[in-house]
Amino acid sequence: MDLLIQLTLNGLFNGAHFALLAMGFALIFGTTGVVHFAYGPVYAVGAYAIWALAALVGLPFWAAVLLGIAFTAALGVGCYLFIYRPFEISGSPPFVVLVASLGLFIVMKNLIGIVFGTGVKTVDSVAYDVHFVGNAFFTTVQLGQVAAALLVGCGIALFLRASRYGKAIRAMADNREMATVIGIDTTRLSILVFALGSAVSAVAGALVLLRDGLNPNMGFGAVFVAFVAVIVGGVGSLRGAVIAAFLLAFVQSLGMWQIPTEWQNTIVFVVLFGFLLARPSGIVRRA
Amino acid sequence: MSKRTLFAALVLSSALTSGAALAADPAVYKIGGIFAMTGASPHYGKVMSAGAQLAVDEINAQGGIDGIKLQLVIEDHKSGSAQAAVAGMNRLIDVEGVKAVLPSFSTVTLATMPIGDQKKVMMINGGGVSAQTVGTSPYMFNIRSMASDLAAGIAHRAAEQGAKKLAQIAIKSEFGDATIAATTKAWEGMGLKMVAAEQFQADAANIDTQVAKLRASQPDAIANWPTTPQAGLAVKRMRELGMKQAVYCMEWTAEDTKVAGKHAEGVEVVTDYFAATDENPWSKRFADAYKAKFGEMPDFYAANYYEGVYVIAELIRRAKAKGGDYYSGERLVQALWENPTFDSVYGKTLTFRKNGVAQKPVAVFRLENGEQKFVKFTTGE
Repeated sequence: MDLLIQLTLNGLFNGAHFALLAMGFALIFGTTGVVHFAYGPVYAVGAYAIWALAALVGLPFWAAVLLGIAFTAALGVGCYLFIYRPFEISGSPPFVVLVASLGLFIVMKNLIGIVFGTGVKTVDSVAYDVHFVGNAFFTTVQLGQVAAALLVGCGIALFLRASRYGKAIRAMADNREMATVIGIDTTRLSILVFALGSAVSAVAGALVLLRDGLNPNMGFGAVFVAFVAVIVGGVGSLRGAVIAAFLLAFVQSLGMWQIPTEWQNTIVFVVLFGFLLARPSGIVRRA
Repeated sequence: MSKRTLFAALVLSSALTSGAALAADPAVYKIGGIFAMTGASPHYGKVMSAGAQLAVDEINAQGGIDGIKLQLVIEDHKSGSAQAAVAGMNRLIDVEGVKAVLPSFSTVTLATMPIGDQKKVMMINGGGVSAQTVGTSPYMFNIRSMASDLAAGIAHRAAEQGAKKLAQIAIKSEFGDATIAATTKAWEGMGLKMVAAEQFQADAANIDTQVAKLRASQPDAIANWPTTPQAGLAVKRMRELGMKQAVYCMEWTAEDTKVAGKHAEGVEVVTDYFAATDENPWSKRFADAYKAKFGEMPDFYAANYYEGVYVIAELIRRAKAKGGDYYSGERLVQALWENPTFDSVYGKTLTFRKNGVAQKPVAVFRLENGEQKFVKFTTGE
């Protein structure tokens, strides 16, 4: 029973981390249609920037996080303006943009190793506590992941529902051509979602920095799980992406209760295949 | 062209051809290294290539081998990609013309071993621990203890400290599988109980589930097989989850200490042992030169690959002394078996056993204040 409680808690905390990543990716992919695989290294660069500001520059961690989020947002915008936008203007087919995204992924991943070195980066200045639920344990950082997922999720939902830009983003996600026809500036909105989505990934990166430390390859796992969550959740649905992120985390964690743990990554693909077969449009079907 | 010119050209051509046939010396002796220069564990590539390069530089500074210099040609296996390793091995042999290769990582060594065997290129592994590399090719040699040796050492250490129930955690790889199998055999061979064996993918986002299952199995001790940096991460997670059991690792680097932080305290490492000592002047010379060049003390991986280059250089020397078309993998292997004993940077000599393995001293270390403190030698047999 203790194991089951621990695995449930692990699923909850990992789900929060996955949800943060999925929300950022879903915002970009759902709105612009760009399969932004470089989202992984953007998330990694953001986390490295936070590490550099905290560990090298010596800023307080909260200040490093704020600046890191701003930097990551700018980096995401840069990806859009300098890589994807020229392809959009030239009317390139989506697979060309996809290839460009993969190229950008590799370039950025290698640049991380060159600029920051390939060793693991950690921050020692932030201490955190361990908490108990019966015999099960969790840390303050893991609680922070849940809190961050809740806050960011509610914030984005509010923004999309209540603000003018949010409504425009939803309109663009529904039908880009129609949005253009009614006078919505889709380029400006693309810049905005790349900034927002990248900023959200930096929040996840800051917490992973505290929890596990950073390495140049961390971007792959991140974009992989975000991508699967968006597909399983239903492309274009932020709510679906969040539900799918938690579903994946719980399956990964609770699924290992009786199955050997070496199957942990494989089970994500099983879920993906199952959903693609049974419900191709994902958990949340868009009208 | 006049008859006289034609004759002169023929004489010159004949002289050049026969000269080439007689002089089997290459312009340079190229030694291949297949290391983890990028990917998840580039720390290994850094120290292994540094050790090998230092040996090459030292030998070249002393005039090479009868005036012919050595050159280290490195291929990147991206921290365990068999595909990259095979491509690298083929390039080393077919393009660079190497006759000896230093592979690293079990997966990589296993993937490249058939190519070395087929193309008769000598291979000396100083990093991978898989028992599957032993006794399967006449061209394959190991200058580090195999998983079975280290597993036995750890099993003995855990048992002598009173553990009855052991749990294991490892990466899902050839290395992880081999280590889990070897430890289970050694542990259960002593009549003790193995209560859990958890594995995870090398690129897993986190290992919380594996650690939770380890904890639930209520072991007396844990054998922690992941390599850098996951070894440190696993220890951190175990301690954060309240696990106070003794933890034994097969290796531990400064990266792991950085990741585990204060939780590294008390972890024991049972591994090949390299230490510079006053009794062994070569070890001191090597350690000083390594630190001067790379800014840190060498670990046993650096020492193994440093030593590997010296072994290959000595084999070339011995083969050359016998004359003929000496520069080939076959002749290097022949020279080794004619006398399988070599000077060792670890002290005294190393001798290749009949299975092609030259076992290194296996020692127990305990992490205290971030430093590995020598505890004792243990049996690796």
